[in-house]
Formats: sequence, C-alpha cells, structure tokens
Amino acid sequence: MSPALRKYIKYGLILLLSVSLILFTQEIKLIKNPESTPVTSMTFAGLGVLWLFSMIGIAISNFLQKSPVKFIREFPILGWVSITSLVLCLVSDFFVQAIQAVDFLSITTPILTFAGLSVANRLVDLRNTSWKVAIVAVFVFTGTYAGSALLAQLGLLLSGN
Amino acid sequence: MFKNFSYFLIFIFAVITISEMIGFQSIPIGPFNIGLLPLVFAIIITMVLGLQIFRKGFWKKVYSDRNISFAGKYLIFIMLPLMARYGADVAPQIREILQVGWVFIIQEIGNLGTVLIGLPIALLLGLRREAIGATLGIGREGELAYISEKYTLESKEGRGVLSIYIIGTLFGAIFFSVFAPILLDLGIRVEALAMASGVGSGSMMSAASATLVARIPEMESTILAYASASQLLTSFLGTFTMVFLAAPLQRFMYKTLVRGDK
Repeated sequence: MSPALRKYIKYGLILLLSVSLILFTQEIKLIKNPESTPVTSMTFAGLGVLWLFSMIGIAISNFLQKSPVKFIREFPILGWVSITSLVLCLVSDFFVQAIQAVDFLSITTPILTFAGLSVANRLVDLRNTSWKVAIVAVFVFTGTYAGSALLAQLGLLLSGN
Repeated sequence: MFKNFSYFLIFIFAVITISEMIGFQSIPIGPFNIGLLPLVFAIIITMVLGLQIFRKGFWKKVYSDRNISFAGKYLIFIMLPLMARYGADVAPQIREILQVGWVFIIQEIGNLGTVLIGLPIALLLGLRREAIGATLGIGREGELAYISEKYTLESKEGRGVLSIYIIGTLFGAIFFSVFAPILLDLGIRVEALAMASGVGSGSMMSAASATLVARIPEMESTILAYASASQLLTSFLGTFTMVFLAAPLQRFMYKTLVRGDK
C-alpha cells in the first residue's frame, strides 16, 4: 500500500470516529430530551456528507502543498473544508437538507471533549505563566470579541438592518 | 497499547454521555444569565480528570502520553465535520450575507481590540516585551507563527504569545461561552455577536455561537451562518489584519505609552 493511500485511510477512519461521536451525542440528546433533532435516514446521509466534504477539503489542502504561493500552502485545512462545503451546498440543496438533519450542538460536544483531553499535559505549563499575563488574557479576549461586536452592531445600524 | 486506546474511546463516550445528561444549565448571576452547555462540562471533566494527581492506575491508562498526543494531533480532524457543516448554514443565506458583506469586513477590524484594550492593561501591570506577544491577537497559530518568526519563541515576546496560547487553549472556549451571553444581556444584537464569534479559533467560535443558539434557538440558522461566514473571513483576512494593522498599531502605542511612563 502506498504511503499516500495509508494516510488517507487513516484520515478517513478518524473522520469516521468523529461522525460516529456526533451520532452518539445526538442519540444521547434524544434520550435526555425527546424534543431535540430526531435521528432519521437524512441524519445518516448528512453525516456521510460531512465525512465526504472533510475528505475533499483534506485532499485539496494536500494537493495545494505543491503550490508556489506561501499563503495558499499555509491556508488551513479547516478553511478548505468550509469552502468546499459552501460551494457544494450552493450547487445542491440536497446537501443543505442532509446536513441540517444533523444537530449542531451534537457536533460541538465531542470536539470539546477531544480538546480537553489534548490539553491535559499542558496544564503543567500554566505554572510558568505569570498571573499578569492571565489578567491580560481576559482583556485580550474581551477586546477582540467586544471590539468586533460593537463594530458589527454599528455597521448593522448604519445599513438599516 | 491497543487496550489503552480502547479505554480512551470508552472514556470519550462516557464523558459525552455525562455532559449531555447534565444538559444545558442556565445560571443567573445578578442581571446576567450564564448558560453552561454540555460542551463546557465536557471540557471541564476532561481537564480536571487529567490533572497529575488523578493519574494513577486506570486514569493513567486513559491519560497515557500516547492517547493525549493522539487527541492533540487529530483534534483538527475531529473538528472538520463542524467546518463541513458551515456551508449548509451559509449557503441558504448567502444573498443576505453578501448584502451586509461590508459589515463583516468592518468587524474584522474589531480584532484590534486586543491591542487597544490589552496593551495598556499589560503595560500598567508592568509587562514590557511580553506584552507585545501577549496582546497582538488572541494568540492562535497565526500570531504564534508571526512572533516566532520575528522574535523566536524563546524571547520575551515569544513567552508572551505562548502564555496567551496556553491560556486560550485551556480556557478560551469556556470564556466565550460565558462572555457572549453577557454581551447579549447588555443589549448587543445577536447578529452582531454572531459575526464577532468568528475570532479565528474553531473551538472558541463553536463555544460562542453555541451559547447564542442555546439562548435564542429560533435564530439558530442566522447565528450559525453569520458566525461561520465571519470565521471563514478571519481565516482569509486575519493574517493581513495582524501584519498590516495590529502590528503597526501596537508598535506605535507601545512606543508612546512606554515613553510616557519614564
């Protein structure tokens, strides 16, 4: 088996894990609250579509590693996947319908579970971080979010929306 | 090895189950309503159980170095289906989004808030060169790359950006999931908050937009469309905003403020 193929099989399996976790979360959500998004055959189609779009995005990103333009080489995979999804969703409404049968909040819980696990060894690094930077961090995060929100509010007001 | 990995998977399923069973909790604090989503419980549970004091016996197998590095290495792939979803949110509303397209571009400039608010505070606290790294942006990969290229990560500037990176990784999602609804209660429109959610980090954006959805479920499609369009724009323009606006502004403010200090 060629190394490139092995790599894609690995990505495919990890993405399969990701969509399985989403399905699992959506099922649990249904047990907790029967009113939430139901799991139908469209949900399975939607999960398949999410898997496919992700693979296409990975392939585009890998392919463009040969590009002479630094900006294109360094453009994140996440961005390619969003663009792929946007283009294909504009092309066919089926993709939109299928994806919307997947509950949004069910996608987020597994991601943050993974994120929490991935930083487990970093907690130690906090000791090397001064409390001053921690205070600054609060203002930095506040600054970017409040700054953008205020400008957006102003913009929406001016455009009469 | 394989056994440890299966413990890891079982653990993930268990954490998801527990977090979802706790469900969405709304906690009123004074005039504000802080909403805690299952995703917040998921990140807290996994972080707390990962503390060194718990790493004995069974937990040591779940939190083996191999498993943790697996989670870190492939987090981005676990996140891809989320990004793949955003097309479906944006596509049906593409006309509406293009109509207010310039507002999306304007709010990108709001990311300069990190310098405008963060830098004076950092200098006031007595930080100097660390402040350069700590306030250039929210310390994601873009800023990390820029600072390490310009100053190296061993420098004081590098330490600053690394610290923000670590704090953001650990607490960013929790912070935004609490902060977004506070601004909502202060009277900022949900559309504006949704646009602002595209801060450039996937997990922070999901946390911010998810709490907004939980608060105003009838606006779900608009919130997600705006948040993801803005996130996509940040991944295009973020580097330019940083290099051509944030960095020069920071240099100017740093010189002015530090000189006035002496």
